Amino acid sequence: MESVLAFCAAVLIAPMLPAVIQKVKALFAGKQGPPLLINYYTVIKLFRKGSVYSTSTSFVFQLGPVVGCCTSLMMLLFFPLAGTAPLFSFHGDVFMLFYLMGLGRFFTILAALDTASPFEGMGAAREAFFSTLAEGTIFAILILFFRFSGSLSFQEFFTGTNAMNIGGEHGALLLLVIIALYIVMLTENSRVPVDDPATHLELTMIHEVMILDHSGPDLALIELGAWFKLLFYSAFLSQILNPLQLADPLMNGLLFFGIVTLIYMSVGVVESITARFRMNLVPKFILTSFALVFFVIILTMELIQ
Amino acid sequence: MNTLLLSLAVIFAGGILALLFVRQFTLMKLIAIATMSAGCLWGLSLTLSGLFAPTAGMEISVEWLHLFTLAFKVDSLALFFLLPVFIISPLVLFYSFQYLGNKNKAVRSAVSYFLFAILVCSMALVVLASNIITFALAWEIMSLSSFFLVVYDYEVQSNRRAGYLYFIFAQGGAMFLFAAFALVYSHTGLMDFAAFSQIAEPVKLLVFILAFIGFGSKAGLFPLHIWLPQAHPAAPSHISAIMSGVMIKMGIYGIFRVYLLLEAPTPLIGRMVLIAGMITGVLGVVYALANQDIKKLLAYSSVENIGIILIGLGIGMVGVSEQNQAMAFFGFAGALMHVFNHSIFKSLLFLGAGAVLHQAKTKDIDQLGGLIKRMPTTGKTFLVGSVAISGLPPFSGFIGEFLIYYGAFQGVSEHRIPFVLTVLAILSLAVIGGLATACFTKVFGLAFLGEPRTRQAAQATEAGAGMGLVMVVMAVACLVIGVLPEPFIRLAFAGLKDLSLINTFDFSPFFVIIRQVSQTATLFIALFLGIGLLRKFLYLKKEIGSSGTWGCGFTQPTVRMQYTGTSYGDEMVDFFRPYVPIKRIYTGITAIFPGRTTWDIQVGDLAETYYQQWLAKPLLRLLERLHWIQHGNIQLYIAYIILALIVLLFLL
Repeated sequence: MESVLAFCAAVLIAPMLPAVIQKVKALFAGKQGPPLLINYYTVIKLFRKGSVYSTSTSFVFQLGPVVGCCTSLMMLLFFPLAGTAPLFSFHGDVFMLFYLMGLGRFFTILAALDTASPFEGMGAAREAFFSTLAEGTIFAILILFFRFSGSLSFQEFFTGTNAMNIGGEHGALLLLVIIALYIVMLTENSRVPVDDPATHLELTMIHEVMILDHSGPDLALIELGAWFKLLFYSAFLSQILNPLQLADPLMNGLLFFGIVTLIYMSVGVVESITARFRMNLVPKFILTSFALVFFVIILTMELIQ
Repeated sequence: MNTLLLSLAVIFAGGILALLFVRQFTLMKLIAIATMSAGCLWGLSLTLSGLFAPTAGMEISVEWLHLFTLAFKVDSLALFFLLPVFIISPLVLFYSFQYLGNKNKAVRSAVSYFLFAILVCSMALVVLASNIITFALAWEIMSLSSFFLVVYDYEVQSNRRAGYLYFIFAQGGAMFLFAAFALVYSHTGLMDFAAFSQIAEPVKLLVFILAFIGFGSKAGLFPLHIWLPQAHPAAPSHISAIMSGVMIKMGIYGIFRVYLLLEAPTPLIGRMVLIAGMITGVLGVVYALANQDIKKLLAYSSVENIGIILIGLGIGMVGVSEQNQAMAFFGFAGALMHVFNHSIFKSLLFLGAGAVLHQAKTKDIDQLGGLIKRMPTTGKTFLVGSVAISGLPPFSGFIGEFLIYYGAFQGVSEHRIPFVLTVLAILSLAVIGGLATACFTKVFGLAFLGEPRTRQAAQATEAGAGMGLVMVVMAVACLVIGVLPEPFIRLAFAGLKDLSLINTFDFSPFFVIIRQVSQTATLFIALFLGIGLLRKFLYLKKEIGSSGTWGCGFTQPTVRMQYTGTSYGDEMVDFFRPYVPIKRIYTGITAIFPGRTTWDIQVGDLAETYYQQWLAKPLLRLLERLHWIQHGNIQLYIAYIILALIVLLFLL
């Protein structure tokens, strides 16, 4: 029951959190910024609209948003949100979920290529490249977590005596993992300094340029998928950051969403004070995260034996 | 056992019938296909019942020419490798009915069916052979029949070249195999496979390395793979399908079999296989990404998948040497599962590429585009194949990779060297997965989606219904295995039941996980349908417009401005540059008013370059000097033979 509530809360709150990023950015720029509920208005507006489809596209183009949204929702279904057990979980689910995320990417890329637009092709190629690099980091993190806890599911990572958080036995090592995961989060969610969601110069964009031709409810589904995905990554981070397990489920939930909001705010700060990298620097940036986790894995060889 | 050989006889009879009915083209095809398929289905039912039967190790041996004994033995591993042979062959044959539609080539088609029957029989015999001579015989027949199948269109010079290259690698590989076998024979004096375990430990390592090279050249192990990207585009598509889907797996079977026969050899073997698998997998997919010829790309992707299978085997072998039963079991099981799955989706993709080639007359991705609108069945099935081969759930490719991952993670807590190796194996699997996604979004996205880049692509129409049906069957199989993997995983587990190394392992708890994988896949599909319905509902009574793609303000786009395969893969391929030779040709802008200029990216093959530089050229130079031996004088040639015989007589 609590899990269902937590899941519903997460899904409902997911659109609001990115507005926090916009608020922080506006504050830095000395502006007032959009209202916190802006994304709900956007979704409702988009749901009411029809769509214009490019004559170049086929049914694959319409498949992209649905698959993308589904895979992000699957992540939330299997992730322990707000200190509760996830709705579904099994030993080994992490492989399946990260591969499902790959499926979402597969169809987003195909939808972009379906428009026959050179810009979208460019975005698609970059998305494929950068996420491959990020995949390396993610699997390195999975290896590390398995080595620490012997578990292969999100739920097992964060429960029991050997929970993966900075208060636990391997807390110091997890600091590096947090940095790495943060980099992966920025990459996978197309944030600055990898990609800039606000820019309107098509050549510099990755994710935004891939969805140029989507409109109406299709675009809304893409946006929802992106918000769920960002929430998943920040929830992942917050679980590692949060050493406390409170008795009161409500307090637990508040603590969880509080940390998540802080993470969103930090993303806003990063976006305000850094510029987007040149494209050729991005692989190095992502590989830094891999190097960090790999370093931790090497450290564990001495610690455990 | 006898009935299994009888089913092979039926397949062979199908080949003979094709030759007999050569004058009635359609009748010939029908009879050949029907007979061979019947034989395959009979064999398949025997194989399946054998896999789940408790008794194993049936043997049969016949004296042949009073010289050698031909011995066959059935065990669970052999039966498992028979599955792809008997499943893919009839499907591919059914496809060939329309694919080989040229009446003027009736004789050639008949010979092709005859050779096909021989190929299928020889593959089955390779798997069943249980002594050195039988194996070598079947192996050679397999290599030769597939060589002739590759050069079906022998008028084209490039096809002949590709065929010769395959021939060289097949025979060169066989030489290594014979060397390995000879080494065993010289130590034991026995032809029987059981003798392998009796030789001394250091010799075992040497035998394995020789056999690994020999089998690797058939399977497409990294530096020995260069015949694949040449031979597969040259061969007719259904032949590429059977070769890539089934025949190269015989190399895997050989590696696995020799490993098992040597019995508990040094840990070095497992590590070697694992490292070879990682190199093969990663470089295979990078080269696939760099190539724009669909069939060449699929051939490189076969190299990649052989890498994945070898990673699985390597994990298993490391597990055995570390006495980690779970790691060993899931590594081997994952490798077998991937062998099975790959045979289906790779054949599907080759058949799809064949349909494209047949209809659009080109296999260059940069000349295609927008095919899904004109070839919907081919397009949709190709999409399924692409998702499956990228290892994404809920399709079949994921299941094998899941097992391999699961096995590899069991090794994460091992000692130092195995630990580092398993970590690297997991990471390479992840990178291979990401790059495979990039590679197959490229093929599908550029060849089937977007706008046609040439007139041929714009005028292509759907291939025949028979060809379509085969592809649909295979695509459905990919989905079914992905959603309901349990019976198929049981097949792979059954394939391992005669392996004394690991057959005490209790795998029943694992089925709980597999059922959950299957439930998750179902959940995902349900969610997908749910959101799809929601989307439908949202679009009810809405205005749906259509217009050109948004060109960011540019109003005169042409189809040539679309992203090409070269540009799509360039950034990623460039990342692996030292291992992938890239040549950029740019004529540059010279005048104040820019004129015509060209920009071309050519990607070579590292192994090919090195072979040319260090093997082919020095060899040619040496042979040039020995030219005087070859003078065309028959008498002297005979003298050579006599001399050689005398020398041998004294030596032996």
